[in-house]
Amino acid sequence: QAIDDDCNQTGQLLAAMLDWPQGTFASRVQLEAGHVLVEREVDGGLETLRLRLPAVLTADLRLNEPRYATLPNIMKAKKKPLEVIPAAELGVPAGPPRLKVLQVQEPPPRAGGEKVESVESLVGKLRHAGRI
Amino acid sequence: PRTAMAMAWRAAPRAAARLLLGRRGIASCIDPSTGLTEDQKEFQKVALDFAAKEMAPYMAEWDEKEIFPVETMRKAAQLGFGGIYVKPDVGGSGLSRLDTSIIFEALATGCTSTTAYMSIHNMCVWMIDTFGNEEQRHRFCPSLCSMEKFASYCLTEPGSGSDAASLLTSAQRKGDTYVLNGSKAFISGGGDTDVYVVMCRTGGPGPKGISCLVLEKGMPGLSFGKKEKKVGWNSQPTRAVIFEDCVVPVGNRLGAEGQGFSIAMQGLNGGRINIASCSLGAAHASVLLAQEHLTVRKQFGEPLANNQYLQFRLAEMATRLVAARLMVRNAARALQEGREDAAVLCSMAKLFATDECFGICNQALQMHGGYGYLKDYAVQQFVRDIRVHQILEG
Repeated sequence: QAIDDDCNQTGQLLAAMLDWPQGTFASRVQLEAGHVLVEREVDGGLETLRLRLPAVLTADLRLNEPRYATLPNIMKAKKKPLEVIPAAELGVPAGPPRLKVLQVQEPPPRAGGEKVESVESLVGKLRHAGRI
Repeated sequence: PRTAMAMAWRAAPRAAARLLLGRRGIASCIDPSTGLTEDQKEFQKVALDFAAKEMAPYMAEWDEKEIFPVETMRKAAQLGFGGIYVKPDVGGSGLSRLDTSIIFEALATGCTSTTAYMSIHNMCVWMIDTFGNEEQRHRFCPSLCSMEKFASYCLTEPGSGSDAASLLTSAQRKGDTYVLNGSKAFISGGGDTDVYVVMCRTGGPGPKGISCLVLEKGMPGLSFGKKEKKVGWNSQPTRAVIFEDCVVPVGNRLGAEGQGFSIAMQGLNGGRINIASCSLGAAHASVLLAQEHLTVRKQFGEPLANNQYLQFRLAEMATRLVAARLMVRNAARALQEGREDAAVLCSMAKLFATDECFGICNQALQMHGGYGYLKDYAVQQFVRDIRVHQILEG
């Protein structure tokens, strides 16, 4: 599962920052000399792109079958060291944030509705409110 | 997804996999992961994944065509399922009896018959690992843990089942060999497996005259009977194993002369937990199948699930499943802790769980009505496969 809260942004943002081509929702990837052929899952079906390397790809679940974890590896996983590297050591600036909060507000409290007697009356009211 | 689950069992492999996995997210009163450690939940997850993807879609075919699924079992061995409670220095996974029970219970939801064979294989490797000397452990265990080779356990004879200590297969000492004569009956994997752990008589009558020898297919004088036709367990071949002046080097004896019966009895404790665990998996799968069917099938204008009688029966099945599971896991803990009451608890757990789980599977079949009797539906195979669990392993 993606770590960006399923916002579908990380790969695209990275490609823009690096100015590299992007092939997202990849379900099939084939390397060629200096290029990569990416088959993408799109709403209308499949789209195939040929991208100049280097490129950024994001994976769709149809790209491959994850391997099973082996029993010994499961037991070793707990003992693996977790190395913590401060961002400064990598030369990555921690701030300033590139997002500005404009406004935070609660959704309006739920107002009461109105009951009507007939379908004609309902249609009339919706028209009057500019909804249809 | 629940409607599709019943269909998945009898239709497309991929669908079966995704749906059996999907149900794990549902909080359920029969959830087998409650009370387990994080590691145990991970083992269980791998085993359930493997069962759903690699076994469940094929269990009907393996049963119908009597296929011994060597490649699938080798895939399982690659994940560490070939020597689950065997020490790591010879290729095993070094897990506990409780871990093992959890794993077999999970695998059995995919194919009970194949999992039962795997548990027998595991027991044989454990015997060599535990009672063999260093040379024997390193000679036999690695290729068994990887399932490059398969093992069979030979204790039962035509004349000695429950009365195992009265076995007649003789092993006469001649120089630095034993010469075996006799036959074993009902041997799981017999004829298709490579390594045979054989209990035979080297001394006088009774348990103290029994020793344990490891034989290999291809040894002169070792032959096999016809493949038996069985009601279930059809994904593993069952044959008689015949010894006619079969010469075995003394270096193939596990432990001391006369230690065989003790080895057999200790093996049986774990074997009983394993078989009981397989029954638990079958019962769990059957309860889910029944639950699914009750929501889909309509009679008298309503889904069967609205029927209070059936709701009560399903609740009873769930209760009995959890009770059986607790018995088995309690026995597994006692065994791995080396407690005095371990043997008795293993026997009780095996007795209780295999009987209860058969009842659960049978009841699940009944809830399917006439459809439960068709081989298109998986529930009948669980019933047939676990019926024998009430008989073997004492």
